[in-house]
Amino acid sequence: MLDAFSRAVVNADASTKCIGGDELASLRSFVAEGNRRLDAVNAIASNASCMVSDAIAGMICENQGLIQAGGNCYPNRRMAACLRDGEIILRYVTYALLAGDASVLEDRCLNGLKETYTALGVPATSTIRAVQIMKAQAAAHIKDQPSESFAGNRLRKMGSPVVEDRCASIVAEASSYFDRVIAALS
Amino acid sequence: MKSVVTTVVTAADAAGRFPSTSDLESVQGSLQRAAARLEAAEKLAANLDAVAQEAYNACIQKYSYLNNAGEANSTDTFKAKCLRDVKHYMRLINYCLVVGGTGPLDEWGIAGQREVYRALNLPTAPYVEALSFARNRGCAPRDMSAQALTEYNALLDYVINSLS
Repeated sequence: MLDAFSRAVVNADASTKCIGGDELASLRSFVAEGNRRLDAVNAIASNASCMVSDAIAGMICENQGLIQAGGNCYPNRRMAACLRDGEIILRYVTYALLAGDASVLEDRCLNGLKETYTALGVPATSTIRAVQIMKAQAAAHIKDQPSESFAGNRLRKMGSPVVEDRCASIVAEASSYFDRVIAALS
Repeated sequence: MKSVVTTVVTAADAAGRFPSTSDLESVQGSLQRAAARLEAAEKLAANLDAVAQEAYNACIQKYSYLNNAGEANSTDTFKAKCLRDVKHYMRLINYCLVVGGTGPLDEWGIAGQREVYRALNLPTAPYVEALSFARNRGCAPRDMSAQALTEYNALLDYVINSLS
């Protein structure tokens, strides 16, 4: 498993170079944005169970066949397995976001996942849909920018913004890890 | 590769839980010290050849018998290899400063070190002398800030301990 720093080291070692100048500049910006990253991880980890159940519920809403007899989320035992898998995927995405590198996600979660799901008869399209919902939720939690148009009369403002760009770079990075999951499953 | 972040993630994964507040605190602690480490890494990378050359010269001066025929520093090829080894350790220290842990030294420097030096019949005392020279050569604030120098010296001590 690698993080952003050890990834730079492994790349430099391949050509037996020291790490100076340019590579250090990108690592310094990683350090400078460290608190944003930790807040983003905290935002996802604190809302994890809510995110997972909402994503699975959304997936089922769009495809009611899943919870009818013969569907892949019927009976409760398979629904529970589905919720568990959603949480596992979200957990590894969170680890990758904390480390700033996708290796933990690739090695420990995505490697062989598609083959396992194919063998178990889990439909890839539904899984991908749930991951897409979690991707949107993660972006929303990191941005923390609720609006009248989405929330309506349930709108709650949770304090003033700390940074003006709403952690756009971290949102993009988190989305890229969800995209990796989607790519691995399709 | 062992670092604060990978240690935290491995522990959280073994327990099957999301990163907890205390996990995030330890990562933040590592990030707070990162500025000094990266400064030391930058200064070392910029002057690595000079640092290694000085350390090499110091150890050959102390162990001048190594220049005798048949010894480890007797031919030009051997001399180049001795200097390369010192540079190799300095590069790994540069990596450790970047990672914020001893992972690169452990995996690429220290694992198998004893066996290799025994098989090649190389003495470790000259390496210790070269690295000790580097250990006592750094000076704050001339070379780098005091905190950066502390991080750099701690890693040199780690290698010296592994060789002695």
